[in-house]
Amino acid sequence: MKCKWIGSSLLAVMVAFAANPAAAEWPNDKPIKFIIPYSPGGGFDTIVRAFVPALEKALGAEVVPENIPGAGGTKGAATVARAAPDGYTIGIYNMPGFTVSTLTGKDLGFELDKVTWLANLATESYGIAVKGDSPIKTFKDLCSQGRPAKLSDTGASSTSSIVAKISFQLIDCPLVNVTGYKGSKGAMIAVMRGEVDGTLKPVSSLGKYADSGDLRIIATYTDKAMVDGAAATGEIGYGELSKFNLRRLIAAPPGLPDDIRKRLSDALLEAANSAEIKEWAAKAGVTLDPVDSDGAAKMVSEIDGFYGQYKDFVAAK
Amino acid sequence: MGFDLLFGAVAEVMSSGSLIYVFIGVTLGLCFGVIPGLGGTTALALLIPVTYSMEPLDAMYLAGGVMGATSFGGSITAILINTPGTAPNAATTFDGYPLAQQGKAGLAIGASATASAMGGLIGLFTLLLFIPLAKEIVLLFGPAEFLLLTLLGLTAIAISARGKLLRGLIAGGLGLFLAFVGTDMITGEERYTMDFNYLWDGIPLVPTLTGMFAISQMIELALKGGSVASGGDDGITRRITDLWSGVAAVFRHWTVLLRGSVIGTIIGAIPGLGGTVASFIAYTSTVQASREPESFGKGNIVGVIAPESANNAKDGGSLVPTVAFGIPGSAETALFLGILVLHGIDPGPTILLDNEREIYGLIVALTLSAVGASIIGLLLARWLVLITFVNVHILVPVVIAVSLTGVYVLEGKPGDVILTLIMGILGYIMIRFDYPRLTLVIALVLGDTAERSFHMTQMISDNQMWSFMLGRPASVILIVATLLTFFLPFARKLISRRARQGA
Repeated sequence: MKCKWIGSSLLAVMVAFAANPAAAEWPNDKPIKFIIPYSPGGGFDTIVRAFVPALEKALGAEVVPENIPGAGGTKGAATVARAAPDGYTIGIYNMPGFTVSTLTGKDLGFELDKVTWLANLATESYGIAVKGDSPIKTFKDLCSQGRPAKLSDTGASSTSSIVAKISFQLIDCPLVNVTGYKGSKGAMIAVMRGEVDGTLKPVSSLGKYADSGDLRIIATYTDKAMVDGAAATGEIGYGELSKFNLRRLIAAPPGLPDDIRKRLSDALLEAANSAEIKEWAAKAGVTLDPVDSDGAAKMVSEIDGFYGQYKDFVAAK
Repeated sequence: MGFDLLFGAVAEVMSSGSLIYVFIGVTLGLCFGVIPGLGGTTALALLIPVTYSMEPLDAMYLAGGVMGATSFGGSITAILINTPGTAPNAATTFDGYPLAQQGKAGLAIGASATASAMGGLIGLFTLLLFIPLAKEIVLLFGPAEFLLLTLLGLTAIAISARGKLLRGLIAGGLGLFLAFVGTDMITGEERYTMDFNYLWDGIPLVPTLTGMFAISQMIELALKGGSVASGGDDGITRRITDLWSGVAAVFRHWTVLLRGSVIGTIIGAIPGLGGTVASFIAYTSTVQASREPESFGKGNIVGVIAPESANNAKDGGSLVPTVAFGIPGSAETALFLGILVLHGIDPGPTILLDNEREIYGLIVALTLSAVGASIIGLLLARWLVLITFVNVHILVPVVIAVSLTGVYVLEGKPGDVILTLIMGILGYIMIRFDYPRLTLVIALVLGDTAERSFHMTQMISDNQMWSFMLGRPASVILIVATLLTFFLPFARKLISRRARQGA
């Protein structure tokens, strides 16, 4: 199996050389490192591993995923930001996660506004799930229990916690955010145990547990309905909530030459639009949202502005 | 039903050439277990990239082989040089090392090998029985139960420090203080980090344990000179004759074996507590149940059987949350799930339906490994024991170099190495002034969970913690267990005094 893999990458390298004899050595000097700032198994890891074969095909180069977990993703992100801008190091970034971190006054170890944005791969919508047999059927039920709604989450400064706190305040829904659970799965199991009313998580994370009947999604932070039986917040009068989402962006070190940036961005989009990736996304419940380099940079500045409005709120926690 | 699948899985591993992967795993697991600072987690973490090109099932065999063998490997070091090879072997040093000093290392290794194998089998058997109830079991343990379990563990500290209660409490208090270092899980504030980024994530367990036990023990040995088993008397021979009586001792003390295994399985099934706590509670409860508690710490074979059976039984237990919800029950199962992810399998609540072959493959590999590692250990014991006769001038530099390397390899942080050295010095001071070191480590492990689950329980119970806990059956059982642990020694003393007065 290993031989086959070496063979196919050799073949890919040869094809790339044949097709593009005049090009500079990049990207065939050495494998391109694709850094994932989290441990294997999460949403960011899964999407990178799914994209790597398609990206290798589009670039005609070898791409190697590498997990660098730690410090809430900032360790891996800093590794990308501090690498040489030679096109051999790229990474997946959690937005608005890192923006929120800077707003809370955390030192990321790199400057978020200096990195080179290559593309956006997917935009995940948040959803609220309750226990499978919970009497709570709608967002309104959740908010009118005569006591604050209880949600479970991982850390107090995690993106979903911040989103929950800002969004519930926007719609005047009293909230107790119980944090300290291990991982998003730990937070979901707390809902199944019944000690909290629900949890706010990306719909793709909730999906499996909703399919198995352990959880039930009651609302999604979207303009239009995306899950059967769950209302879209846009349709129940909470239009502003669909602005909260989770983007999976690809970044490279600051000062990446324009030609390499363009080629990486094109290859990422080509991969995102390939049949294999589309098929994978449909199966995994991931909402692809391919946006090129310039669009991604614009997206980041919008995120900055949007969460900037809530700076005081986020900083106060 | 579970058993039919199990037999199918056994047939599969036997019929293919895959047995070799189990064997490689066992060998690696033994080696990583024996070396202080390296453990099952390190072995699996290093293996993950290797398994990339393997069939998923073969990767499971390899992982199972490693997981099942490390804790027995670690007991060898614990017994022979008073240094736990892996974190969960810490409690084995209490009675294992005194036995080695008395020249009875063979007896201890025989007992440890058998207890590990039997504990592993009991744990996996329990897992198979309870697979249909796995979801209910996991849902039974919420933050309230976590809090009570940590209280039970902290109570056991007081009990374990028999006769040295004040010293035990001081060491435990120091451990709790160290547990507060790092980011507050609830408010996100930094505490006692002194502007070191390294301390953000708190004081990590493996460097602390390696420093406390491996490094400090080496300092002690180096200053003492000679060799481990040169206790002064010349009566010690280099032959080991007691190996089989060690094996027999496990079956003679079958209640100890059973209690250790049950405790291991239960604590293994609760994510976040882990083998160190499991074997510690198994040890203390055995001391407590014993009619002659004062014989422990001086080379009582039962003190080896209890922690070692708990140690291996916890592997079976830690698979309960995995089969129920696709979540890890231990650091090792987290890496096992990581291997599945690399092979394109995303573990979820239907893992048992979707990935039956992999799960049962792992169970079979774990079983073979628990037994296989012990057989290999028994065969090698004759030569292993010679370590205790090696001059410390050779032993000390080797162990220090290897354990510091091991600590560095795990996360690649230079700070871990520095912490290990600091903890080594602190550990040596504790040896000199006779403070219990494991107490500090256990408090460090429990402190974080205790604080977090206290806050969480407070929030989910709307500040009505007491009535909330009384409404949950599992909580009530844990409260009773904690009260018993606390008052039983006093009650027993009272009864024996009455009896004496009556006579």
